[in-house]
Amino acid sequence: MPVPIETTHPIEPRDSDYADVRLAVAGDPAAFERLYRRHVARVHGLARWLLGTDDCDDAVQDLFVRVWQKLSTFNGQSAFSTWLHRVAVNLYLRRRQERGRDASRFGGADDLASAVPARAERPELRVALERAVGLLPAGAREVFVLHDMEGYKHDEIAELLGVDPGTSRSQLHRARMMLRKSLA
Amino acid sequence: MHPEWTDLLSSYLDGELDPVTARRLERHLDECASCREVRDDLAAIVAAAPRYLGDPPGEGVWRAIAATIDADKVVTFPVARPARRWPIGLVAAGVLLAGAAGGGLVWWTTREAPVVAIDTPPVDAALVGLTGTSPKVDAAIAELEAALAANRHKLDTATVRVLEESLATIDRAVAEARVAIQRDSANRYLNNQIAINLRKKAAVLQRATRALAAET
Repeated sequence: MPVPIETTHPIEPRDSDYADVRLAVAGDPAAFERLYRRHVARVHGLARWLLGTDDCDDAVQDLFVRVWQKLSTFNGQSAFSTWLHRVAVNLYLRRRQERGRDASRFGGADDLASAVPARAERPELRVALERAVGLLPAGAREVFVLHDMEGYKHDEIAELLGVDPGTSRSQLHRARMMLRKSLA
Repeated sequence: MHPEWTDLLSSYLDGELDPVTARRLERHLDECASCREVRDDLAAIVAAAPRYLGDPPGEGVWRAIAATIDADKVVTFPVARPARRWPIGLVAAGVLLAGAAGGGLVWWTTREAPVVAIDTPPVDAALVGLTGTSPKVDAAIAELEAALAANRHKLDTATVRVLEESLATIDRAVAEARVAIQRDSANRYLNNQIAINLRKKAAVLQRATRALAAET
């Protein structure tokens, strides 16, 4: 009678994610597809914010292929969604750097005036905000997306982006003020 | 609007301001309508941001992923013996099956299972430096197959099935190459493919028997 695998960091069946991770690690593509469909919207949105619409589908494809390959390293100490987002953020940021699109990262005040329209339509805050976030310069957008949309703390963002936590804080405030201006 | 105060608003809204400064800011907000307006706007933005749950991409993205992972079947080797369990990083020594043209190549990924004394032949030395089929490889494979057959009851049926499929894929590739080489005995590519696949087969068998032995 086969005995289930016991790990040093037990993956408890707290929800269907854990069960599907185990099945996927064992080679079950259907389980992996369930994980994909459960989580793809958020990481796709994240890719759109961090990479732009042109590259986000490719980035999501790359992400899930990598996740499939390294799924066995998920040890269950955090929620699968948290682990996935970590992998996604790291991948997307690296992809950005490789693309060399971060030339304007943490640029000066000049890009504020050029990036934010004087006045944005505001039929509804979410839609308006979505548009406005897309217009933020790279550095401010990264921090806003990671902090306000993804829930990362400044220390974590600083580590991810290779900046000082104080820089992350100032970029966040800058992003919010720019959004306020664009939504005015 | 007073920048010396509004510059503190994000930290204030995030609860990162020290209590003394926060109280001073609140007193200013009580008196300054323009700064209060900034605070309310920023609070609305912060509150709206988490609603972004994203939208799924088109179905083509999943199809592309599925096509990629279909070629890579990751298989674990759970052992039916309850005596000692492996950490998942060790257990998840997976076999990747790549449907390479002309035959399947099989190799193991991730960390190795712990190696202890085993009753299988020390084939590493026999496999080093081999460039083609040889009696030495055939003998090593035969011994490993025998060792695995003797211990296969320790593997669950799903694992046995996948392992057998992996080995069958290699065997088919070797057989096809051997048929082809009858017509072109000097074909170095075919010779090389046979050698590669036999080494892969021996490596898979060796890892499987080692993993089993580690449980003994």
